[in-house]
This record gives sequence, structure tokens and C-alpha cells, in this order.
Amino acid sequence: MKSFLKGLAGAASIAAIGISGAAKADEPIRFALLQDFTAVYTFVTDEYNQGQRDYIELVNREGGLNGHEIEAIIRDTGNEPQRGIEAYNRARREGAILVDFLSTPVSRAAVNRVLDDEVVMITVLHGRGDASDGTTFPYIFPMMATYWSQATLLLDYIDREQGGLEGKRIAHVYIDSPFGREPVPVMEELAQRKDFELRTYAYPSPGNEQSATWSDVRRFRPDHVILWGAGGGQAVSVREAIRNGIPQENILSVVWMAETDARTIGEERATGIKRFEAVATGTDLPIMQRILEEVIEPGHGAGPSENVGTTYYNIGVASMAVATEAARLALEEHGAPLTGTSLRDGFRMIRDFDAEGMMPPVSFAEDDHQGGGYGRVSRWNGEAWEAVTDWFTAHQDIVWEEIEKDAAGFREGR
Amino acid sequence: MDIGYFLELLINGALTGLMYSLVALGIVLIYKSSGVPNLAQGAMVMISAYLIWVGVSLAGLPMIVALALAVVGMFLFGLLAERLLLRKMVGQPIIMIVMLTLGLEIFLRGLGPGLLGAAPKSLDLGIDLMPIIIGEVFINRAYLVGAVVAVVMIVLSLLFFRTRLGTKLRAVSDDHVSSWSVGISVERAIGISWGLAGASAVAAGALWGSVQGVDWTLSMLLFPAVAVVILGGLDSIYGVLVAGLIVGILGSVIPGYVDPIVGGGTRDVVTSLIILLTIIFRPHGMFGREDIERV
Repeated sequence: MKSFLKGLAGAASIAAIGISGAAKADEPIRFALLQDFTAVYTFVTDEYNQGQRDYIELVNREGGLNGHEIEAIIRDTGNEPQRGIEAYNRARREGAILVDFLSTPVSRAAVNRVLDDEVVMITVLHGRGDASDGTTFPYIFPMMATYWSQATLLLDYIDREQGGLEGKRIAHVYIDSPFGREPVPVMEELAQRKDFELRTYAYPSPGNEQSATWSDVRRFRPDHVILWGAGGGQAVSVREAIRNGIPQENILSVVWMAETDARTIGEERATGIKRFEAVATGTDLPIMQRILEEVIEPGHGAGPSENVGTTYYNIGVASMAVATEAARLALEEHGAPLTGTSLRDGFRMIRDFDAEGMMPPVSFAEDDHQGGGYGRVSRWNGEAWEAVTDWFTAHQDIVWEEIEKDAAGFREGR
Repeated sequence: MDIGYFLELLINGALTGLMYSLVALGIVLIYKSSGVPNLAQGAMVMISAYLIWVGVSLAGLPMIVALALAVVGMFLFGLLAERLLLRKMVGQPIIMIVMLTLGLEIFLRGLGPGLLGAAPKSLDLGIDLMPIIIGEVFINRAYLVGAVVAVVMIVLSLLFFRTRLGTKLRAVSDDHVSSWSVGISVERAIGISWGLAGASAVAAGALWGSVQGVDWTLSMLLFPAVAVVILGGLDSIYGVLVAGLIVGILGSVIPGYVDPIVGGGTRDVVTSLIILLTIIFRPHGMFGREDIERV
């Protein structure tokens, strides 16, 4: 709360400047972090946003980008598209050239606006997967693996590391929402290719009671279950899976499974469960060490120090590391002032950027805004998440079929 | 037909329903004592769970001490809610009082995560995760404990309303003016009823919080709890017990068979239908008192 208020105070000071259009040569580069601090995405926003702000603080303390500081405009959208658009309009008037809503409903509502306004929108681990098609969505950058890429990667891991997929029974247990259903088409396609049996099981949102769903799952006798939820429902899913006799080693999850979920399940009980990992966790990373030394220890952190190094904090750091790299390349290529278009070009110039080992190497191009769809699998060891694979990507041909199909639908107004 | 599957849905549904009853009990306690339908009960459950978490995780207290302090804290919260909010609404239309409780719900839902952080917190009551297995039926141990607690709380509530104080509370619910005229402190009675609802919220918060973690979604338990009180009758504690079982069983058995066919999502439909059909065909619920007013 304190950190959020601090952010709001910062935002208010930015609003007072009252600049419109692109940032001038001697002025800061403004990123608008207009996120859901109070409604549905609360399980992730605090830590994610804290990581973003701490990274921006680090960049500024190290001299900024060619002398330009980065300023964060922070506002709460409450996951409401209308509030999000209002916040976006204000941020646009204040000179923001990048926006991050961290909310699928809000970012979907803003798609046409950012395309018309030529403002970069990053949709890290949320939003439209088909926005990976940079020719259709030139100003939108999913930046990390889409849910389709996460599903194919998890299934590929089972195929390569857990005894193969052929003849296996895979249960996809998901929160009953478009997010939960999103990976089903690629899973079905892989089920045909790899000859395994896939069954899907929905539980009602928010997932605080799932016993009937799991009674049904148990009767299927799955070899593996893939969980597709977020927030409190994830811990309930794992507890129900264990209660229904599914070994922890055979439980895999979408990216939204963090330290706090493992603690809710019980640190010992959760040992063995696996998840898709987009960004390394912990503080034993060069960027995180610099954040600790230059931001946290001198007391300039944006929130509780115990959050530093957690899953969602580090994803926030990585998101700003990529955005900052794009701004750096854009300044080199186009000079100041930066605009949405020059920042977009900066993103598209990024090649094999891994934030000093914090994330898989990402490269963007005019037609690929996903960055390759890389990730890895990590396992809860009783105390922390530890990587059990290197960064890899899988079945991107299937993923891109979905991306192109949905992008075509967008172009045709469907 | 797989009888084991049916029995598992039935039993776990009944236990879950009794857990919903625990949330619903607070709503009935207040309505039965003061005639106010309290839509803030879901958020009171959430705040209770946060209080227990603060006691255990931040203050390092033993769970039993944290629970006891949470009961005291929520009882005081109930008294304060009556003193600062409800008392000012005397003589106002009932719809405004309902709106007040809705406002309180929204306020509390923002307050807890705002002060303590929005990430889910863990609450371990030490209940074994492994199920009780009878034949092919897996019974959820956490829900079994919750159901037992719910039944105990409901029985205690039934007994309470037979005491002298409970009788006064019933009188207040019947008619404020008459109660005043015979010397009953209406304000004190309403305050006590809110305090009791706060205390029952602690039991619900502890049990549901241990199952799913502590975060704002605990306040969403209001929805099934409202179905329970509407079906059972807003002023019937016995109704909470029976309706909880019905809501839980229907919300488990029907989705258990229909979800695989339609692709999920039927539990909320079942709960909604219970609310709609009850209001249409039996507005006072199964065991609620039917008031006839001359106009």
C-alpha cells in the first residue's frame, strides 16, 4: 500500500508537468504502468510493479539512457477497461510512449487505441497471443512466451523428460475463463500428433472450491495434469490433485505459480510440482545484485524488500529490462526525442537479449513480437523454484498457426 | 452408473455446503436479531482470515491464540459497525441499510489487501491433506473438519436464541419500538448480533483460508452464502443447516455430471437458479417466517 501510494505521488508529480506528445530531447522517457492493483490481478501486480519500478530506479541511478531518465506513470485501473482507457488517455497526454496494463481485459480494450496512437503496448504474459504477429499488431509486444507457447513447452517437457507422450493421459485442469481455455487448441493439435489422450476439466472462478472437478479428474487416471489458473485457485488445484493421489512430480502449471502458492499448499507438500518459467527467480543474478546494492540497500526500493527476487518481481524487472534495451537501441538509431514509432523500432532491433542471464535470449522482428516463445521448466524443491531444464522452445509451428489464424480474424474484424 | 463417483460428489458436496453455511450463519444471526440483511459478511470472513494470518505469521502467535484474538477482534468490529454505521441508519428505508452493508463489503475488500498486500497468504491449520478413503470414495478431510465446526456453530446458535439474551434479540428483530417500550436496549442487541456474526466469520475465515489461502477472493463466498440464506430463510438458523446441505450437494452433483458434457461452468448456474427459483416460488425460503403486512 505504502509503495503504491508512493507510486501515485510520483505519478501526480508527472501529471503536474503537463506535457503532450513525444518526450523532448532533454526530458525523461515515460513508461505508463497502468495496472490492476485492486481487483483481479492483485495476486501478481504488487510484486510485478515493484520489480518494474526498482529496475527503472536502477537505470536512473546508473545515469539513465544517454542522460535521459525513465519515469514511471503509475495508476490503478481496477481491471476495468473504461478506467484503463481513461488512465491511458491521461498518460498519453503526459508523454508516455509505452504502456503496460498487466490485464487482459484492459489491454484487449486498448488494442485499437494504441495502434491508432502509435504507442507501444507490452503485454507480458497476458493479453492477446495473436499480437505476436507484428505485421498485424505493429505496436503490441507480448515479449515473452504466449500461453500457446507455454502449453507446447510443458507438453514437450513431458515428451522428452517424463517418459514420452505417446499413449499417455493428460488432464488439462483450468479456471473457467478464456484464459483457461486458450491453450486447448494447441494441446489438441499436439494430442493428434503425439498420440496421447487429452481431457479438459474446468472449475468455476475464482477456484476456491474444486472438489467435484477433481473427483472427475481422478477417474480419468491421468499420467500428468497441467494446471491453468492464477491466484488462490492454483493452491487449491495442487492440494486437490495431491489429495486425489496424483504425484507432485506429475503436476505441471502455467507460469502463474509462485512462492506464495507453494507456501499456501505447504512448502513440503508442494515439493516436486513443476511450472513454466519465463524469467529466472532469486537474487543470484547480475541485475538483481545491482538492484540490491544500488536501490534496495540504500533504501530506494519501491516496496517490501522480502519481495525482491520472487517470481513476479523478477518478471517485472525483466519486462523493464527489455523495454529499456529497446529505448537504448531506439535512441542510438533515431536519437531523441523518442516516439512510439522509434521505440517500436528499438524493440525490433533487439537480438538475443537475455538481461544478463535473467531470461531466455529474446529477438524481435517486424513479424515476430513474441521473441521466440522461450521458457524453461522449474521445480519446487521445498524452499524455492529451481530450474530443471535450460531455456528452450517447442512446436512453434503449431503456435504460429494459432497466432496467424487469430490475427487474420482480427484483420477481418472477427 | 458409477455409484462411488456419485457418493463422492454427494458427500463432498454436503461438506462443502456446510462450509458455506458457516458463512451464511453470520448473515442469519444479524437478520434474526436486527432485521438487517448483511451483504458485508463475505468481506468480514476475509478480514477474519487476515487477522488470523497477522496473529500467526506477523506476530508469531500460536494458532489457537491467534484464533481467540481474531474472535475478540471481530466481535469488537461488529460492535463498532453497529455503533458507527447502523445506529445512524435508524428510521431509514431498508434498501439504504442494505446499500450501507454493500458499501462496507467493498470498503473491507479493499482495506485488507491494501494494508497487508494483495498476494495470497498461507494459513495452516495443520489439517492433513490426505483424504479419508472409504471404498472408492475420497472424503476431503479439511471440508469434514469444516462441516463439523459448522454444525457445532449452528447448534450453539440455536441454543443461544433460547437463552434470555437470545430471546431479547428475537424480540428486537420482531419490533424495535415494542422492544424499546419493554426496556430492551435495541442498540445493544443489534451490536451483539453484529459481534456474534463477526465471531462466526472467524470460523469461516480460518477454514476457508486454510483451504485456498488468504486473499480478497474469500469475500466471494458471499455468493453461495446468499443462496443458502435465501433458500433456508433469512431468519432461520435451522434453515442455514438444511439449505447449506442442499446448495452444496446440488452444486457438486449437477456439475459433476453436466460439466463434462457442456465444458464446465454449471455450478454458478445451479447456485443462481436456487436463488431465482426460491425468490419466485417461496420468497421467505424453506424455513423463514412469512410476514403478512396489511397495506
